[in-house]
Amino acid sequence: MKIDRKIVFGLFLIALVIPTIVFGSDTESPTNHMNLGEILPLWSCIPFGFMLLSIALFPLLAPNFWHHHFGKISFFWAASFAIPGLVIFRGIALYEILHIIIIDYIPFIILLWSLYTVSGGILLRGTLVGTPVVNTCMLLIGTLLASWMGTTGAAMLMIRPFLRANSHRKNRTFMVVFFIFLIANIGGALTPLGDPPLFLGFLHGVPFFWTLNIAPHMVLAAGILLVCYFFMDSYHYRREKPSPINLNEKVPFGIEGKHNFLFIAAIVISVLISGIVDWGKISIFGVHTSVQDLVRNGLLLLIGTLSIVTTNITVYEENNFSWAPIIEVAYLFIGIFITMIPCLLILKAGGKGALAFFINSVHHPSQYFWSTGIFSGFLDNAPTYLTFLNTALGNFYSSLPEKQAISRLIAENPLYLEAISAGSVFFGACSYIGNAPNFMVRSIAEEAGTPMPSFFGYILKYTLLILIPVFVVVTFIFF
Amino acid sequence: MKFEKILFNTRFRDNAIGALEQMLDLTAVGLKEIILVYVIPREKVAFVPYGGYQKEKELEIKKKVAEKFEKWGAILAKKGVKSKIRIEVGTPNAVILSIAEKEKVNMIVAGRKKRTLLERVYVGTHLLDLARRSPIPILMDKYMAEYEIDGKILTRVNEHIFSHPMLATDWSCPSENALETLISLKGLASKIIVAHNIGVKITKAMSPAQFQEIKKESRKRLNEYRHRLVDAGLEAQTSLTSGRTVAEIINVSRKHNASMIVLGRTGKDWLSQYWLGGVSHRVAETSELPVLLIP
Repeated sequence: MKIDRKIVFGLFLIALVIPTIVFGSDTESPTNHMNLGEILPLWSCIPFGFMLLSIALFPLLAPNFWHHHFGKISFFWAASFAIPGLVIFRGIALYEILHIIIIDYIPFIILLWSLYTVSGGILLRGTLVGTPVVNTCMLLIGTLLASWMGTTGAAMLMIRPFLRANSHRKNRTFMVVFFIFLIANIGGALTPLGDPPLFLGFLHGVPFFWTLNIAPHMVLAAGILLVCYFFMDSYHYRREKPSPINLNEKVPFGIEGKHNFLFIAAIVISVLISGIVDWGKISIFGVHTSVQDLVRNGLLLLIGTLSIVTTNITVYEENNFSWAPIIEVAYLFIGIFITMIPCLLILKAGGKGALAFFINSVHHPSQYFWSTGIFSGFLDNAPTYLTFLNTALGNFYSSLPEKQAISRLIAENPLYLEAISAGSVFFGACSYIGNAPNFMVRSIAEEAGTPMPSFFGYILKYTLLILIPVFVVVTFIFF
Repeated sequence: MKFEKILFNTRFRDNAIGALEQMLDLTAVGLKEIILVYVIPREKVAFVPYGGYQKEKELEIKKKVAEKFEKWGAILAKKGVKSKIRIEVGTPNAVILSIAEKEKVNMIVAGRKKRTLLERVYVGTHLLDLARRSPIPILMDKYMAEYEIDGKILTRVNEHIFSHPMLATDWSCPSENALETLISLKGLASKIIVAHNIGVKITKAMSPAQFQEIKKESRKRLNEYRHRLVDAGLEAQTSLTSGRTVAEIINVSRKHNASMIVLGRTGKDWLSQYWLGGVSHRVAETSELPVLLIP
């Protein structure tokens, strides 16, 4: 019994949004009660650890099992925290679960869905010949686009033309790896639309344009990588002496679904406005949420739907567009968000929480950059960002409400937020599991016949040799 | 139009081989080659969350499918029909249409799965989407179909589907094409029913005199169709009804014990196609008979 996946996902999104608006408040705000973060034991973070380990290990050890059961695994780990939590802490636990779903998860998924949908409606055509200059330019364009259409959107837009342009080349593996470095990760550092962790920061009170503070870091890292790439590609190009592409098969350059760029602009504006205006708050299940955030969610759903309606189905088909990746992200992230609740609460409690030893051991911005980065490289970077943001808040402003604490952090210790932001975005490129588009790019490249390194091969041959030295340079210059 | 080369898409559901064997009847009117197509939906092997592309799984599926297709190919060869195997990963409809274009086939044959209530409401399924976009005839095959009459669930096995086809015409250009297609089945179709229904929407605002006029005109056109079939050497009979078109087409097909319904596929706007469905789509969806849609 299979229903059209588009319908299921649409209903899923609607089901997420509508009940939360309709029903009234019946949960307890923790502000009037005990601080869970101060009493939760460290082992309450175990489901979070297992959730992330499942993402890291199952695709390696049991890919077939994982492919068919990842949703159940995600729900299992979510339940393994949620059920005992609800039994023991009742209303307070319910509040925390609803809070993370309403404030973080729903907007997060809606933004990813809208960016993914709209960018999937843009098709780049044309016979480009993959020379070092052309390839470097493509990587540069993708890197610049990533901050505005999301790393996932930019990666999906560029990967197939990039692979087609280089189909006549022998050594394509390193090209795709640099593609992952630049377009699927580092390029997304400039705006909250670029990479999921930055959007989570935005939802928690980091101003939209604050992330432009990461521009120098991004320019340096991307610049070094592009130069490295150009030299590596030139070296291989000279050795390969590729045969010229058959001009009879030449397809003129063109873009189909151009109107979707307007939809991307509409997404940017929707997100931007929600960060500027203040239309008050309403209570949904006892969770106070901003009206402008709900309006933004609605607009993003509308924009995505309009994009689907107005885009020719052949554009999606030629892009090999599939709903599978975004549905997978939705399933996995419900597990991640729910299981990370205790971890976030404990970190927010600062010196009074069970992770006081950890908070006390991370002081310097460089430590934040590297610890956020290392965790981001092997766990997903979005939850890692929130974890370390809360670590910093716990370190400096554990007694303040979150938004106030973030404002103070930006005003008084911006370097810490820069380190966390850059660390979570940049290090997402360190492995296939660091950021969602990495695995999509890998999958598409392998399908197109480009051999990709194994999980550890990627780390040993590329991350350690190329990325880490770049991050060392970034550390010395900025942190 | 001659059905010399057809594309047979399968998901290896129950009785798929039965459906294929039905196509062999077309050898009587010149069938020479069948392209056996299996599309592995991309999601089945790609996009493993945080993993890569399951190349081994793809190869394993391809191997199993190729083995089955080789057996089918042997059956076809015994009947003097050539076969070609195409197993590809991708978006099913896009791949099917692309293969149909490259191979220059005359007809696409695709099976239909059982549908849930929600899927029945939403007419725009993958198969109907294929029918909507195909520039060549598409046969929605239903070798074994369950249907309901007076609350009873019945099962019908559709064999020799080209023997007694029913053309439901709305006098459109695609209906004309459908008539020509049926004429090309001479030697295979023993009798053809030509049916027309005067829809409720048309008759609602009509006076009895106007209705009689329409009936007269419709009878005249039906007879013209019948004459063309008879002139081509085919036995034909007509049926004129008025009422709800989809229900009437199905009623007439049952009354005359038709083996297949043939319809011209009229173009409709996006909204109608997806959420309401044209008559042709709804008949294809509802009837227990195979439905041949002619663009």
